[in-house]
Amino acid sequence: MRRTLRRATWIPAVLLYAAAFGASVAVRLAMPTEAEATDVGRLMKAKVSKIVRINTTEDVARALEEARRRGLKVSVAGTNHSQGGQSFYEGAIVLDMKSYNKVLDLDVDRRVIRVQSGATWADVQEYANPHGLAVRTMQSSNVFSIGGSLSANVHGRDTREGPLIDSVESFRLMLADGSIRNVSRSENAELFPLVIGGFGLFGVILDADIRLTDNEVYRERTVHVDYRAFPDYVRTEILAKGDVALTLGRLSAAPDSLLSEMYVTRYEKTNVPVSAALARLAEERNVEVNRFVFGLSRKFDWGKSFFWDAQRSVYAKQNGMLLTRNNAMRPPIEFLEYRDAQKTDLLQEYFVPLDRFVPFVDGMREIVRSEELNLMNVTVRYVPQNEEAMLSYARQESLALVLLINSKRSARDVAKLEASTRRLVDLALEQGGSYYLTYQLFPTREQFAKAYPQAEAFFQWKRKWDPELRFMNEFYARYAP
Amino acid sequence: MKPSNALKWVMLSQSAMTFGAGIVFPFYLIYIKDIGGDFTQYGIAYGLYTLCSAYLNRWFGAKADRYGHRTFLLAGAWGTAVLFLLFPIITGIWQVYALQMLLGAFGAMQRTSEKALLADLTEAGKRGTQIGQYHFGVSLFSGAAVIAGGFLIDFFTLDIMFYAGSVILFVSGLLLLQASEPDREH
Repeated sequence: MRRTLRRATWIPAVLLYAAAFGASVAVRLAMPTEAEATDVGRLMKAKVSKIVRINTTEDVARALEEARRRGLKVSVAGTNHSQGGQSFYEGAIVLDMKSYNKVLDLDVDRRVIRVQSGATWADVQEYANPHGLAVRTMQSSNVFSIGGSLSANVHGRDTREGPLIDSVESFRLMLADGSIRNVSRSENAELFPLVIGGFGLFGVILDADIRLTDNEVYRERTVHVDYRAFPDYVRTEILAKGDVALTLGRLSAAPDSLLSEMYVTRYEKTNVPVSAALARLAEERNVEVNRFVFGLSRKFDWGKSFFWDAQRSVYAKQNGMLLTRNNAMRPPIEFLEYRDAQKTDLLQEYFVPLDRFVPFVDGMREIVRSEELNLMNVTVRYVPQNEEAMLSYARQESLALVLLINSKRSARDVAKLEASTRRLVDLALEQGGSYYLTYQLFPTREQFAKAYPQAEAFFQWKRKWDPELRFMNEFYARYAP
Repeated sequence: MKPSNALKWVMLSQSAMTFGAGIVFPFYLIYIKDIGGDFTQYGIAYGLYTLCSAYLNRWFGAKADRYGHRTFLLAGAWGTAVLFLLFPIITGIWQVYALQMLLGAFGAMQRTSEKALLADLTEAGKRGTQIGQYHFGVSLFSGAAVIAGGFLIDFFTLDIMFYAGSVILFVSGLLLLQASEPDREH
């Protein structure tokens, strides 16, 4: 009796439950899948329709076709090192290009590499190094994708090279309708200065032909310079003499020498041939130790002084060291990776004419102190004038200061940082300078328009080439009229 | 059926119950975050659960005395199993609050009936030993669930965890069917 009662209970129960389960799964599958996109700054994030991992050119075409069919926007993402939503947009299909990373060709005689846009500079270095070749222009570090670097028109440490656009011969671009254009200074030339430095708003860069240079041996030398003397130092000791290939200045973030003490690391050309030992690509060492020391400087003023002094002793040890261009262009970076739940490290970059460097640094010191910014690191690089890209930040010969700032991610702290950033942007504009668009969207529309007078034309071109505004990101949403 | 045998089935069933709930609940905040919530909303969701269940404990206790503790325990397990099926398909924080209140109701059924049933199935004089044994088993599963949940969530989405939890909760109800209600006249 009990047994039949039990059966009378469990058979319908199982059937009903199975039906409920099936219904739930069916509804779930019919719901639009959502994913969350963010970047290394983790200040902004967006619920996106989905993130599509791109492996082949057909994958890109298919994703664009789906976006057209469903009326969705498309954002293009590389290694996600921009910090203002340049690589995502609410509700968009995000193309994750990281796996689209083959080196397609290397013409050793012409020194041109053809590489898919998801590849990183590290991939290029590994491919080019055995052939005695090296990258001409890239960021200070090699972890960034080619497509992202092109879209941000990055610049580097080589004082003889302009921004990345200078070393690009051509690239292939897939437009919103799925058609592919070859773009160079002679073919579809209109697109060339729009796409480079165009933050993915015109199409998907598939692959690019990028000029390389010889992998030479340099001698590293670091000198102490008063920041007031730095512009003259650049002119007379670096630009005029022509024996320095790469240059990187570093301003102190330690409280007692804040933005006054300065070191300049020079990579001087030599006639030393590239031996097998020198040619070997260096791997990052002591990651955890460096991470710890850098972590101390995030938290404590004495940590900042300690870090600054530690850097000085590293410079002393490395003075006179020989290394190849490829190794000079792969400095340690992994130790900077930071996943704190409440805080983040943010980058900002300001460009000022050489002669305005000193007043800019003085003004910046005042802002850093009064706004109590947790400034971790400041590097200084030289940028020659280059107006080829439509959204050019180098409309004049400039010094570029990159600030690394640690901040809480709470709404209150972000609002505070936003206000401080606007002060810094105003300062740069007052000194006839500009700021870099790849980072946070803090500057006002007025500041943006002032720093980039060509922006209006840029957005008009955008609407001409992509009338349905298929390619979209938070940067466009923030600043386009 | 002997009470000790029934106790064994109840223990198995409630172990499955804690396991099914335990692979999801400690990671619940991720879910709240996923639908755009924050710590405040997490606090509200948990508070609603507890308050709702506090209020209903008394009422369900009395009802269970009348209609059978096992029946209410069964309703608690199956009810929670069905609610778990809803989590993957809701999208707003208000829906989370509603589900948390319903979960609180089924939680109240479960908690009160479990204790009452334990009292029915244990014998005076041996009660401490038997309940100790019972909690040993159930707690083992609860600990294992948290560890397993943390491990699995690295590989699967929270949706899949809810579905897995739901199936386990449903099975816990089936196991409970094996434990017959102690005789009323007993």
